[in-house]
Order: sequence, then structure tokens, then C-alpha cells
Amino acid sequence: MIVYLPAALFALSLLVAYGSAGRRRQIATIGSIVAATWSLILLVDPGSVTWAIGPIVATLLLPRPGARVNSSFEGLTRRAITLAAALVAAIFLGSRLPIGENPVLLSAVPWFLAALGAAWFASPIDQPERLQGQVLMVAGAAAVILAAVPAGPLTAGVAGAMALMPVAGERWRLPGRLRFPASILFLGLAAAAALVAAIGTPIARVILFDLSFNVSGVVLVAVAVLLVAGAAVAPIGSEWAALLGVVAVSATAPGLRWAALGALIAVATVLKKDGERVAWIAFGVLAITPVLQGLATPAWSARVQAAALAMGLVLVAVAVHAGMLRVLVLPATGFLVIQTLGTVSPTNLVRFQWIAAIGALLLMARTLLSRLIDDGGQPDIIRDQLLFALLLLAISARDSLGLGQLAAALLLIDLAIVRIDVLPARRSGLGARLVTLARSNWPPSVTFAGAALAVIAALQAALSLGLLAALVLAALQLAPLIDRHALAPSPERPRSALRWIGPMLSIACGVGPALVLRMLRL
Amino acid sequence: MPLALQALLPFIALLGAAAIVLRRPRRSGNGWIACGATGLAGIIALIELLRLAPGEHVDVPYLTTFPYADLAIRLDGLSLALATVTLITAALLMLARQQVRGDRRDPWFGWLLTSAAACAVIFADNLVLVYIILQLLTLAWSGALDETAPRRRGLRLSVQIADTGLLLAAASAIQSVGTSAFSGVPSDTFGVPTFVLVLVPVVVRIGSLAMVLRGPQAPVAFEPAIAWVAPAGYLLLRLLAVMGGRLPDRASAVVLFGVGALMALGFAASAVFERAAPRLTALLLVAQAALAVALSTGSDPLMTVASTWLWLFLVPLAGLANVRVPAGSAAEGLTLLNLAMVPGSVAFVGLWLGGLALNARGLLFGMIPVGLAAALAVIATLRRAVVPRSIGLDLGTAWAGALLLIAAFPILVIGPLVVPAAATVRSVPGGTISATLFGIASIAGSWPALIVTLVVTVVLWLTGWWLRLKAPTLPSPRGGGKRLARALAFPRMRERLATVWPPMVPPWGRVVLWGAFVAAVGIVVTRP
Repeated sequence: MIVYLPAALFALSLLVAYGSAGRRRQIATIGSIVAATWSLILLVDPGSVTWAIGPIVATLLLPRPGARVNSSFEGLTRRAITLAAALVAAIFLGSRLPIGENPVLLSAVPWFLAALGAAWFASPIDQPERLQGQVLMVAGAAAVILAAVPAGPLTAGVAGAMALMPVAGERWRLPGRLRFPASILFLGLAAAAALVAAIGTPIARVILFDLSFNVSGVVLVAVAVLLVAGAAVAPIGSEWAALLGVVAVSATAPGLRWAALGALIAVATVLKKDGERVAWIAFGVLAITPVLQGLATPAWSARVQAAALAMGLVLVAVAVHAGMLRVLVLPATGFLVIQTLGTVSPTNLVRFQWIAAIGALLLMARTLLSRLIDDGGQPDIIRDQLLFALLLLAISARDSLGLGQLAAALLLIDLAIVRIDVLPARRSGLGARLVTLARSNWPPSVTFAGAALAVIAALQAALSLGLLAALVLAALQLAPLIDRHALAPSPERPRSALRWIGPMLSIACGVGPALVLRMLRL
Repeated sequence: MPLALQALLPFIALLGAAAIVLRRPRRSGNGWIACGATGLAGIIALIELLRLAPGEHVDVPYLTTFPYADLAIRLDGLSLALATVTLITAALLMLARQQVRGDRRDPWFGWLLTSAAACAVIFADNLVLVYIILQLLTLAWSGALDETAPRRRGLRLSVQIADTGLLLAAASAIQSVGTSAFSGVPSDTFGVPTFVLVLVPVVVRIGSLAMVLRGPQAPVAFEPAIAWVAPAGYLLLRLLAVMGGRLPDRASAVVLFGVGALMALGFAASAVFERAAPRLTALLLVAQAALAVALSTGSDPLMTVASTWLWLFLVPLAGLANVRVPAGSAAEGLTLLNLAMVPGSVAFVGLWLGGLALNARGLLFGMIPVGLAAALAVIATLRRAVVPRSIGLDLGTAWAGALLLIAAFPILVIGPLVVPAAATVRSVPGGTISATLFGIASIAGSWPALIVTLVVTVVLWLTGWWLRLKAPTLPSPRGGGKRLARALAFPRMRERLATVWPPMVPPWGRVVLWGAFVAAVGIVVTRP
């Protein structure tokens, strides 16, 4: 009987939360988190209680207004339907992915928490509820993954602490006097990571109690890219968000890894909300992979994992147009998928490739449609969409020479750091020529290197992929005629020498892609 | 001197001159520096070729980047011979430009970079490197760092897109044998599809000659010879060398021969109706290039020598044809003589050798379309032929005269240039071809070059003396072909099209698209 108490507590908390306001509602929300913690303790071990610290503190930091917010019939209906649909989906997933021989109502409680967060995020009554929804989504995702793939108390605590990040992203900016030193520190760390990878000093893992971080070649390159992006092109005061990306790509525990990615998405969408919902859907699809690995039956788990990875990647490519989503979430997700793809079997890799190819076609078709549907919206930049398509193909092309990884890394650098409009093009001078070259398709820009290697890598994987990549490359040559000099708008930043990092990095990577390959192969 | 440095000497000369020219813009001596450096680079390439032992090739690696695409230079008969011809042609073009008065543009830096890039394409050791440098070559000749720049945009984009075929071929080689280096690719690696892929950039570059139908805007056009013809010829010959000197199968060889011959016929026939000199020369050049493609299909050593001859001398001929000369001058007359493929011209020597090779295999009827194309070219040039008003020794006259001299004394180039290049493409056994002071002797027949040249010279001299006036010509089409162009523009159709294009798609089109995506993913997940 005791195993049903967490579910009962959750139901009670949910009812109180929907029926009250102010402090009582806040306590009810904490009650739902306690219910999930209780469930985790019963499902995994008592050490998992540390997970609750983060979400509870985050909820305490989000006070509710004392009076109930007025709501319309349509709004109420929408909220009720959203919550019901989310809970039905949660119970369905909980029943399909049982944890051991525990009753469904016990193992579904973490799913319920994530569903509640999703419902509040999708149909919020006000902004604080929306933020609370993000907190619960991140916490719920961590809880579900921790239930599927248990981790130690410290890891669980840090994973739970990721739920604080939506609040931090909303309220905290790096103080002005710390920005420049922080940027320099990030760049220094990025250089150190790149140097370690280039020299080829193998470091197995960095371990702190039960918390461990992977330091392989791909991770070091990813860390370097994220830190440079954070220092050079992230919005003012949000540079610290790059550290979330670093945690996401380097943590070995899936619970922490995917929670960090969720936290990064929450922080990235604070300032610019374009593509936010698609990004969260992508996060949900991607975060399901470790759960499937831990809980699903082998008969269908592997194939759905491959499909989820591919679909999540496609959705990320659809979501990240501009802002921090593009600058930080795209490279973090890209490198995460590259890492995860290493464990996919050859048969399921073919599934991944199929979906990636279909996704590439989808991106191109979307771009075409956006120009044919007259809805007053800003049409997509064609060159970016084609590069996203090539990125999908490159990541899917897992070849023995490592060309797919290399092409993907170069394209991620291009899309996240170089093709951002931080440096207005000048009309003349050597600097203007350098910037134009760095952003062009000519050698030795990173675009050229990434795209050409993507074609070679795709052909190593399959003839059809190679031909598709070649077609995309051909279209890429024509894209400037339509786009002209369009670039993704940059987050607001002061004028500084950091704006030259993108063009310089483009030329450096275009000249020495072999060095990047060496780093990736560490 | 270390071999690694020797191989770099042409580049050092070219890039050093480029650096000097860049530092002192608009100086009068820049042209001489550019011309001298390019000529020096050509002479260096020639010396390296002469020092190369028969059948020898040297791969000089500089940087090991990837296991399949090192930064390396390949020195062999083909690369050195073509580099020599290309660089000397480039130097002559620069010399011609230097003699132009009144043009204040300063093209030297761009031309030096274009020459260096063309030389790098020819020296590159693997297909990936060739692809990369071809892009640099396009950047150098177009000067369009800004990709939206309108100058020759269509042409530049066509070339860039066509080069994707080469990238696919390189990827195919890497997939098959793990490398795209010329030394490491076995001759049976490439099949017909890969050959066709590499043929695309070749065809587009040759077609570029015809696209510039308005003729050279400037007094001297640099790109046609250096950036289009030379890389096109090199790519085709190099691919044949990688494939062991023959096409994958007989059927593809026959088809390619037929296509090449028909193209030559078509362009030569178009030239008959063309009045403007620049367009005429462009069409005749394309016709010659198409014949070179056609003869490249043979698997016979003599045929390989013939096609190599044609490609090698198409480069200086294209250069000569893109130097604007005064109408009615001796230079124009001699240029047309070279383009006409008459006996005594360099092109005719190649065609004759090809005919001998086909005859030896009992396929002389294959020369019928080739002969027809040559005949049409003669008619086209005769229609424009005039008796030169004066015979002065200018650069154009000397250049055209030098080509005719080579045709008269093939011994000058057969041994040092043509045979080493052809022997790289495929093995040329000793005795296949040899040159004497009077002509060429081969296993299939001979060519009395000197006698033919003398006879043709006497005949032409007598004809000119007897006529003393302009040769009979046909009237040009009324309106200069503009009327036809206007008709082909389909104005009414374009107006109608403008009203329905782009088609408006309803907003639910996105839902359909996403639905299709989800359905496709579902199929992928559920398929066994």
C-alpha cells in the first residue's frame, strides 16, 4: 500500500496547486516534487533524495501571487486539456517503461512531474507558472532518467540542481565587471581544451566522488566550441550558460547530461523565444533515449533509440534559427548526438541515416514553403538551412575515417560561431575581405571544408546519402544569390575584439581541418 | 637542390611576383614582372620535365593531412608538360596585355594568382586537392570573393557546381581504396558513372568558351586558356591516366567519341554562320576541344598521343584566339589558319595521328565526322579570310607563326613535351611514334609535316596574290541574330509565367509536410 502513497501525494498536490494561489500553491508544488522524490527513493535508493534539493529551492525562488489570476473559459479548457493529455502520455510511458516489478503508479510519478511541467509550460496562466513549468520539466526529466539509470547522490544532486537554471537564466546576468575576465577565462579554457586534444594527451575521466566527466577528443572539441561560443557570441551576461553546455557534453551520467541540456534550453530561450516549443519537444525526444536504453525491452528499444536520436536532431535543426538556441544549444546537442551515435548498431545506424536524410529534405522543403506561404513571417536563410541539412547528413555518416564527425564538427562551428552577424561587413579593406571570405563558400572557409567533407563522408556511408549531400552542396553555391548577405541575427553585444573570433576561427578551421580531425580522434 | 624545393620553384616565382605586384599597385613595371615571373615558372617546369627520366614520376608530400588527401605535388610527364604549356601561354598573354595602350586596369595580381592556381591544379597529387584548388582557381579568375557579385556569375556558379562531380569522384575513390592520390588508385577503381562525373567539370569548362559568345571584353582575355581549357584538358587526361589510359568499356568509348564528334560538327557548323570574329574563334575553339575529347576515348597508344597533342596545343591556341588583333592583319589571318584545322596547322597534326590510329584498327570511318567538322571549320574561316593588308611582326603574328612552325617541325615538341605527357596517360611503347626534321613517323603511318606546310604556304600565298581582294563571304543574318534571340525569349510565355509563379501555397501546407515527415519516420522505425 505504501508504494501508492507517492502517487496519492502527487494527485493531492496537483489538486491543491490548481485550486489555490500564493504560498499554498507553492507548497503544493513542492509537495509534487516531494512525491517524485519519494518515488525515486522507493524505486532507486535513498541517496537519490539529493535530487530534490534543486527543484525545491527553485520553486521557493518562484513565489506565486496571492490572488488567483483571472482566467477565461477557453483558457481553462485549454489548460485542462493540456494537463490531461500530458498526464495520459505520462501514464502511458510509465506503463510501457516499467521500472523493475514496481507498480505503474509508483514508477509513473517522475513522469507525472515532467508532464505537469510540460502542461504548465505549454498553457501557462502567467509567466511565473511558465517558468515553474520549465523547472519541473528539467527536474522531471532528470528524475525519470535517474530512475532508469541510477546515479550516486552527488550526481543526483547536481542533476536536480539543473532545475535551478531556468530561474537563474531569467534573473541572473553576469555582472559587467566580470564579463571581460569571464570571456578571457572561457577563451583560455577553450584553448587549453583544444591544446590537450591536439597534443594527444589521453585523459580517461575526471572523477569527483560519484560525479564523473568524460574527456575524450570529441568532448574536448565540443567543450572548446561551447566555451568560444559562450565568450564570443552569447548575449551579454549570459556567457555562463556555456558551462551548462560543457556539463551536458562531458557528464557521463545520463541523468546529469540530459538535465543540463534541458537547463541550457531553458536559459537559451529566456531572451529569444523563437523555436522554443520545438526545442523542448526535441529535448523530450532526445532525453527519452537513455530511458529506453535502461527500461525498454531489447526487441524494440534499440530501433526506437536510433529513431529518437535522429528525430530529436532534426527537430533541433528546425528550432535553432538564432539567439542562444543556435549559439549554444545547437553545438551541445550536435556533439551529444555524435557521442551517443557511437553506441548505435550498424542496422539502427541505417535507420538514423534514413531519418537524417528525410530530415534534410524536410528542412529544404520547409525553406521552400516559407517562401511560398505568404504569412508575413521572416523567411528562413536558405544557406543556413542547407548547412543544417548537410550537418544532419554528416552526423549520420559514421565512417571509419572519422570524416562524418569532422564535417559535423566543422559545420557546428560554422553555424554556431561564424554565421552569426556579430561583425557588420565593411565595404573595403583587408578586414572586410577576411570577413567576406570567412563567411563564404570559398576555400579556406570552414563552410567549404565542412560541406566538402560532409559530401565525402556521406558517400562513405551510402550512395544515396552522398548524392543527396552533393545536391545540397550544389544548392549551397546558389544560395547566396537569394540570401544575399543574410546572416543569423546576433545577440546584442558590445563592440569588442571578440567579434573577430568567428572569422578567424573559420579560416583556421578551413586551413587545418586535419588538426580538428586529430583532436576528435584523441 | 632538394626535390621538395624544386617542385615549389614555379609557385615561388609566381607568388613572389604576386607579392611584389601587390605591394606596388599601378606601377608601369608590374606587367613585366608578372610576365617575366610566369615565363620563368614555365621554363622551370620545362627544365624539370627535361630532367625527368622516361616514365618517371615523383610524388613530393609536404603535409600529411588526411590519409587520403595529403598536401602533395605530383611531378610527371603530363603535369610538367601541361604546366609548361600553360605557364608559357600565360606569360605570352601577359606580354600581349603589356603591349596594350590606354587600358588603365591593373590585372597582374589576379592573373598571377590565376596562373599559380592553374599550375597548382596541374601539380596536385590527389583528387581532393584538385577539387579544392579548382575552387581557388575559380575564385582567382572570377575575383568574386563576394559570392553575390554579378560579374560572370552564371559562369562561375556553373563551374563551381560542376566541380561537385569531381568531389564525388574523389569520395568514390576514397570509399573504394581509401585514398584519392593518383599513385594509390588502381586503374579499375573508376567505372562509367565516376568517369561521367569527372567529365562534367571538363564539359562545363569547354562550354564556358562558347558561353563567352560576345567575345573578349578586354583586349586580352586571360581566363579561357588558363582557367578553362588547361584545367579541362588536364582533368580529362589525368582521369584517363588514373584509369590506365582507357575508358571502362568499349560502349562508353564509342558513345563519348560520337558525342564529341557531333559536338564538334555542331559548333563548326554554327561557326559557318557566324560573322563576328570573337564568336567565330570561340566556336572553332569549342569544336577543336570537342574533337580532343572524342580522340581521348581511344585505348591505342597512338590515339593517346594524338589526343595529348590536341589538348596540349589547344591551350596556346585558346590564348592566341583571345588576344584582340586588328581586322585584316597578318595575326588575324594566321590565327584563323590555326583555328581552321587545315593541313599545316597544329590541330591537323593531332587529327592526322588520330586518323592513323583509327585506320590501323580498321575504324577509319570514325574519321568521317571528324573530317566533316574540320571541313566546316575551313569553310567558316574562309568566309572571314582576307588578304592581309600589311605583314608586321607583332606578338600575335609571332605567336601564331610559332604554332605553325611547331606544326611544320613537330620534332621540336614530340620528344620533349608530347610523348612524356602521353606516356603518363598510358604506356607508349618505343617506336610508336618518332619525329624527324621533316615530319612524324609512327607505326601506323607518317606525316610529312614540313612538306605539307610548305605546300600550304605556297598555295595560300598564290591564292592571296591572285585574289588581291577579300574572299567571298556570305551575308550575315539580318539583325545579327538578335531577332532570333528575341523570339527565343518567349515574351508572352514569360508574362504569363510571371502571373502564376511563384505559386502560393496555403498555410496548411506546413501541416502536410510535417505529416509526411512523421509518416516517413514511422515507416523507418517499423521496417525490419
